Amino acid sequence: MTITLEPAPEFDPLAARQTQDWQHDAHLLCCGVDPSGRFVVAGGIDHCIQRWEIASGTKTTLTGHTNWVRTIGFSPDGATLWSGAYDGQWITWDLTARTPQPVRQRQAHQGWLRGLAVSTDGQQIATCGNDGLVRIWNAADGQLIHELSGHTSIPYCVHFVPESSELVSGDICGAIHHWRTTDGQLLRKLDASEIHNLIGDLAPFGGIISLAFSPDRKRLTATGLHKTSNAPAGNRRAVALSFDWASGEKLPKQESIKKELDSTMWRAQYHNEGTLLGIVEKEVGFWKPGEVDAFHLIATPSDIFDLDLHPNQLDLYTAHFDGHVRCHHLAAD
Amino acid sequence: MSNSTYRPCLSPHHSLARRQFVGDLCAGGAAVASGISLFSHPAGAAQLAAHGRSVVVIFLGGGISQFESWDPKTHLETGGPFKSIPTSVPGIHISELLPHTATRMHQMALVRSISTDLDDHGLATNIIRCGRTTRTATEYPELGAAVARGLERTDFPLPGHIRTMPEGIGRRNNNSAYLGPQYASVSVGAEKGGIVNTQLPDGMTVETDSRRQDWRRFVNKRHRQKVQTAEMDAWTQSYEQALRLMERRELFDISREPSEIQTAYGSSPFAKQLLLARRLVEQEVPYIEVSHDGWDFHHNNFEFHLHYVADIDRPFAHFLTDLTERGLLQRTLVIVMTEFGRTPGINAGYGRDHYPKAWSMAMAGCGIQHGAVIGKTDEKGAEVIDRKVDHRHLFHTFLQAVGIDSTGQFEIAGRHFPIADPAFGPIQELLA
Repeated sequence: MTITLEPAPEFDPLAARQTQDWQHDAHLLCCGVDPSGRFVVAGGIDHCIQRWEIASGTKTTLTGHTNWVRTIGFSPDGATLWSGAYDGQWITWDLTARTPQPVRQRQAHQGWLRGLAVSTDGQQIATCGNDGLVRIWNAADGQLIHELSGHTSIPYCVHFVPESSELVSGDICGAIHHWRTTDGQLLRKLDASEIHNLIGDLAPFGGIISLAFSPDRKRLTATGLHKTSNAPAGNRRAVALSFDWASGEKLPKQESIKKELDSTMWRAQYHNEGTLLGIVEKEVGFWKPGEVDAFHLIATPSDIFDLDLHPNQLDLYTAHFDGHVRCHHLAAD
Repeated sequence: MSNSTYRPCLSPHHSLARRQFVGDLCAGGAAVASGISLFSHPAGAAQLAAHGRSVVVIFLGGGISQFESWDPKTHLETGGPFKSIPTSVPGIHISELLPHTATRMHQMALVRSISTDLDDHGLATNIIRCGRTTRTATEYPELGAAVARGLERTDFPLPGHIRTMPEGIGRRNNNSAYLGPQYASVSVGAEKGGIVNTQLPDGMTVETDSRRQDWRRFVNKRHRQKVQTAEMDAWTQSYEQALRLMERRELFDISREPSEIQTAYGSSPFAKQLLLARRLVEQEVPYIEVSHDGWDFHHNNFEFHLHYVADIDRPFAHFLTDLTERGLLQRTLVIVMTEFGRTPGINAGYGRDHYPKAWSMAMAGCGIQHGAVIGKTDEKGAEVIDRKVDHRHLFHTFLQAVGIDSTGQFEIAGRHFPIADPAFGPIQELLA
């Protein structure tokens, strides 16, 4: 008797097809798949978080914030969810509970909390907000560990450097700060101000909206917008600007050139094999390392504001303006 | 999301050399000589009593969102991410983006029930400025021209209708219609000493300049004995007004203010324009307009309002404080004007589009009921549900607040023109 093993499906964006479509009734701003792969979670302008069990599609609503839910993060085991909102608070949730309730919450910032990240080991969370500060918290008890000041404009996002005691934060004027989390020391600054504009000489537009590290940690990628021609009308182009992490040298920008779309790259994420996935309005673009133009775009019906890959690296979840969370399977199987 | 492209309604970038400035004034003078009389309505005493009053319009071109300013709907998902805050008047809440302004609400009034029907920037700006439903920019005089005419005083040395801008020298604009160009706005920069290019050329002494002006007057007078036309008189008058303006150029130089005053206002272009406006109010200039453009946020509405409203909040509140402390607010009407509101819904770019159906305006100072809120919008901010008013009611109200009888008429060369739309009247309950 001969046993034939099915080959593992290969990541192939060109074969992408939508496999799931869950609907909520409010515009969604953020989403993520927990590291265990059980749930997809999305936050919206209704101040709520929606949790869908991927296997069953069962939806559960988490309430506790009092303003737009802008950002989420998970513990490495997927059991704990942190959410951050424009009410300036972060909330800890037991994600596995039947109906999760706030376990702990902190008024983290004056004004909007814009960015939140969980360290690779799950020991710390970092947040940033309209008060201009980056704060590092003990994930276990919620105590403030460090308050990092130095951004001269509003920090938009934070991201832990994988497998290290370091953190990066990016602000709305394009400054990236590289911090050591053990003592809060600023290690260096990177300049991505070219993906920011000042509108009317007073309002920053763009900046560092998200940050991502390549799987080999050789590249730090900042995403946002550039080529602004009429900001109040939304004329701009999505862009990813990467830095060689060791040298700080800028690498060629990546954008959608063949298909020009008014768009902001609200999020980009690397696939484990090195492809960059980024939001381009209603589409998701795919870039090979070092290539300027996207080699493929997959279209969706509504503007995308966040994306996350399932731990299987084959299912891509996107959060949309129309309140939907959609899943595209990125393989031919 | 709307595909409309923002077109600035006001261009602050026009600048003219002194020669053209004088030339424009001359053109304005022609109308003076052509026979504009006093108001034909027997309200002369009231008009005289109004002298010394000023109107300051802060025009937020592009359309500020009422939700992110005067009429927040924080209970709605689409109300946006900003909270409302209490003000110095119990029961009145405005956006948290206006914390300094909130402390001055006891000197202010809000109209939350404006409903107009034009969503084009240019057309909407025109009707709100002219108080008439018209699609022709030059058909009716703008508020500034009507106020300049209504509060006009003999031998007042300054233009009665001034628009400030960040920098540069002004020009006469075409916004006074049948009242004539002398009531059209003159634009003046707040930076670099205000009126530039008005110094005597290098090498020319005051005495030399005085002699050449005397020579000009002599020649004019001699020529006038042979030929007399309205146009010539207008040219003559315009030269004299330009000279008076030049003699008072220091009034436009905000750097003459004590440093603590300049610091208190702030260093932004808008703050400097407000400081210039205060100096002009002190001089009893009838109408001053301060512009702050770019509020047309079809995209990224909330981020932009976060910064734009902050840019006006503190200087505006300080402006009211400064006017109060100098005893000027009691004779000055301040209007925070825009051309329309923004949609209750949020588009896919997190912007708000044009919405003339239900929007708001704020006022402060003389002639109005302080702490008043006129009208109401529905829960979603989509419809006016109480005391619907439009640009025509507002125009009457602005004029009557400074003592101009808006039901009267301008008599020009024997023709009578209603000052405001005679089919409408002021918001009576808003008037003090």
